[in-house]
Amino acid sequence: MEISGALLPAIPAQGAGVGTSGQLALTVLMGVFLVAVFLALTRAEDWRTYTPLAGGGYGESGHHVRHKPEGITRWLTTVDHKDIGMLYGLYAIVAFVWGGLAVLLMRTELFTPSMDVLGAVAGGTNAGNALYNGLLTSHGITMLFLFGTPIIAAFSNYFVPLLIGADDMAFPRINAIAFWLLPPGALLIWAGFFVPGLAPAQTSWTMYTPLSAEQAGFGADLMILGLHLTGVSATMGAINFIATIFTERGKNVNWANLDIFSWTILTQSGLILFAFPLLGSALIMLLLDRNFGTAFFAVDGGSPILWQHLFWFFGHPEVYILVLPPMGIVSYVLPRFSGRKLFGFKFVVYSTLAIGVLSFGVWAHHMFSTGIDPRIRASFMAVSLAIAIPSAVKTFNWITTMWNGKLRLTAPMLFCIGFISNFIIGGVTGVFLAAIPIDLVLHDTYYVVGHFHYIVMGAIAFAVFAGLYYWYPIFTGRMYQRSLAKWHFWSTMIGTNLTFFAMLLLGYNEMPRRYSTYAFNADWAPLQTVELLHQAATLGAFILAFGQIIWLVNFVQSWYEGPEVDGDPWGLRDTSLYGREFEWHERRLQTAVTDGGEEDEVATDGGVDETAAEEAVADEQSDE
Amino acid sequence: MATEESDDHGGHHLPAVEDWPRGFGEASWWPFVTAIGGAGFYIGAALFLLGTGEQPLIGSMVGPAVFIASTVVFLVGLYGWLYHAFIVDFWGGEATEHGSPGLRMAMILFLGTEVATFGAGFIYYFFIRAGAWPPAGAELPHLVGSLVLINTALLVASSFTLHYAHVALLNDNRSRFIGLLVATLVLGTIFIGGQVYEYYEFIVGENFTITEGVFGSAFYGLTGLHGLHVTLGAVLIGIVLIRALFGQYSSERHTSVSTVSMYWHFVDVVWIFLVVVLYVGAEFTI
Repeated sequence: MEISGALLPAIPAQGAGVGTSGQLALTVLMGVFLVAVFLALTRAEDWRTYTPLAGGGYGESGHHVRHKPEGITRWLTTVDHKDIGMLYGLYAIVAFVWGGLAVLLMRTELFTPSMDVLGAVAGGTNAGNALYNGLLTSHGITMLFLFGTPIIAAFSNYFVPLLIGADDMAFPRINAIAFWLLPPGALLIWAGFFVPGLAPAQTSWTMYTPLSAEQAGFGADLMILGLHLTGVSATMGAINFIATIFTERGKNVNWANLDIFSWTILTQSGLILFAFPLLGSALIMLLLDRNFGTAFFAVDGGSPILWQHLFWFFGHPEVYILVLPPMGIVSYVLPRFSGRKLFGFKFVVYSTLAIGVLSFGVWAHHMFSTGIDPRIRASFMAVSLAIAIPSAVKTFNWITTMWNGKLRLTAPMLFCIGFISNFIIGGVTGVFLAAIPIDLVLHDTYYVVGHFHYIVMGAIAFAVFAGLYYWYPIFTGRMYQRSLAKWHFWSTMIGTNLTFFAMLLLGYNEMPRRYSTYAFNADWAPLQTVELLHQAATLGAFILAFGQIIWLVNFVQSWYEGPEVDGDPWGLRDTSLYGREFEWHERRLQTAVTDGGEEDEVATDGGVDETAAEEAVADEQSDE
Repeated sequence: MATEESDDHGGHHLPAVEDWPRGFGEASWWPFVTAIGGAGFYIGAALFLLGTGEQPLIGSMVGPAVFIASTVVFLVGLYGWLYHAFIVDFWGGEATEHGSPGLRMAMILFLGTEVATFGAGFIYYFFIRAGAWPPAGAELPHLVGSLVLINTALLVASSFTLHYAHVALLNDNRSRFIGLLVATLVLGTIFIGGQVYEYYEFIVGENFTITEGVFGSAFYGLTGLHGLHVTLGAVLIGIVLIRALFGQYSSERHTSVSTVSMYWHFVDVVWIFLVVVLYVGAEFTI
């Protein structure tokens, strides 16, 4: 695991001429892409005055103080948790696009053993391998730190205050600064790709020493700095969420009826509180090792094993930091389309807390093959197997929630069911990896890659999509296009299973991970099978990409042209499943309709009846 | 790091019509400005690294210049933020203790993150201390001397003076409050001076530097991290002192006195632990 593809045997360089022009082409492409994004943003006419509803925006309902400035100033100065949620969402989607493009390039390179597109782009096979390693590193870091964590923050910022009946976050301005630290963090992390003279880091996301401590080039230094910055941001957010959920709950929200999503965010924030600062310190030590001659992780110093301990003490809770809130989204959305309340609510909460505690006691299962003390290994194996129990409790609760329910297969529901299905495969393969003997065989093969992608793509991303579709009417006041949403679901479901199941099989064939090629003698191993499986994985990746394009088109187009919906797009008003966030949405719509959204009218015509005025005031307060 | 700059938790008094941009209640430039400054530290550090090595990509002064400029932006942002969030209200008679439980809680949570921050460094030290000792080929400097003992005594004393300053404030004894606050700041500053002197002695006198090997990394990593925290604590106490001189605290309004006090006690406790394991623990083997 610790040996990255950077250590591949050197293959004679070829096509150096292609290299320079290739690099130039890549730079130009990147520039065109950035300009296109900028133009698209400016052409979207109402992005500056984003008002999701036909009339009136937030907090403009007949009050003498306007709460939002106009134009781009509004977005740079906002401290409204909903605006900040939208900013997090936009940021995460941009990161998702970059992380996805990176992996498409990698999958193309792996289509056949001799394929060398990256070599053609970078100039020479060696440079191509280096680029592959850079893309591999960037894909992992981007998806985990710049897409995963922020997209969860997008949901939690938007909905936790609404769900717990708070006016806003406990510290709205800390909320704003936590977001604004992220874009510079991303620039530092990606700098290796677009700043001339810098090489992208080739450390893989685990940054194992001594490779990461000795690798030349400033790309790794900048990535470490950027990661530290995003870690500071995540920690500030976590403090804010815990303080919000503890001190800002509305009068009728207590611990007994706190919603499941807020529970998972609370647990996640607790994990962030201890995991991210520890990573921060470890990163600083690594940076000192790289630049100032310290011996923290040197081979004859603190030793590379120490890095692995520190990294995975952060890294494994990080997995649960990423998966608990999506589980919360599924637990929240699934019952609404099953016509039944969440089965065993209390036990879903308990299992969340149990996972939160246990997640700090499993880290060394990433290090079974490093030669650590067998007694330590055995105890970590026991805890790692034990953590499957609360996860299974959740799974059974979701299934029982659907059992005998009136299922409505809307897009969010399909993604919830897809989540459960993929989570079972990802989870069960994880149980196998937790067993030492099996891990020793499968360690550092594609099996591991398949396993955790079933979780991060098959489960986490699916739950994210479920949340995005379920709350799309709240974000935009409109409905997405249902048939496109189903196309999105099925292509994502098929693509995910094709890609990652092929990877599980590749792992059984002992295909090692992290290599940019698999040209080997067919007498040693079944090259044909391996090649076929790689091609299946690549095909699946492109099906996945196709699905995500549909999703982007659907969301952007529906934002402008989708049918406007009322406060109850899912037909839940007469049930016990009508959530607080849709109640709030309904109130906002009514207020907007009553006063026509024109603040001046209300101020001058004086003809507003009292109830509407009261509602306006109530809404006003809830917006603050 | 940012807990102290907590927001006023809006919505419970008049919109901050004087804030920047004017007239928009909640909207504020300060988080954005402060974020630019905060990110500038990292960008400055990155540029500094680009200016090092055998083939520097840029001039060696670009990084430090950006770093210093960022410090200015950061401080301006913090000043504007804190001024509009906390100070303005004192003159308008609007300030309440409403946000207090949230702010205290945020400080406790922040100290939780600090446990993890220091934890990584201590884990490293325990990791190497459990191996061969003293580390092969390394000569440990003379660690436990009068300087460390005096410094420890000073820092412990400063915790007491700060605590009794707070007690005096709660008893509405203003002059005693300010006197003890000044005493705390003086003790903290002397402590920092003592640490600088110790570094000087080790680096110049005993030729024991951060590149010395495993113990050098542990020693300078941990004492450096702690020294940064004490320095931040001294700055915070300085801010509290200035606000105290302006008469902004009373027995009803003392949130930041209590949060800064929590922080200072925490840093003190870390120091005691550090002396026991890093100074005494390295010098003596049972």
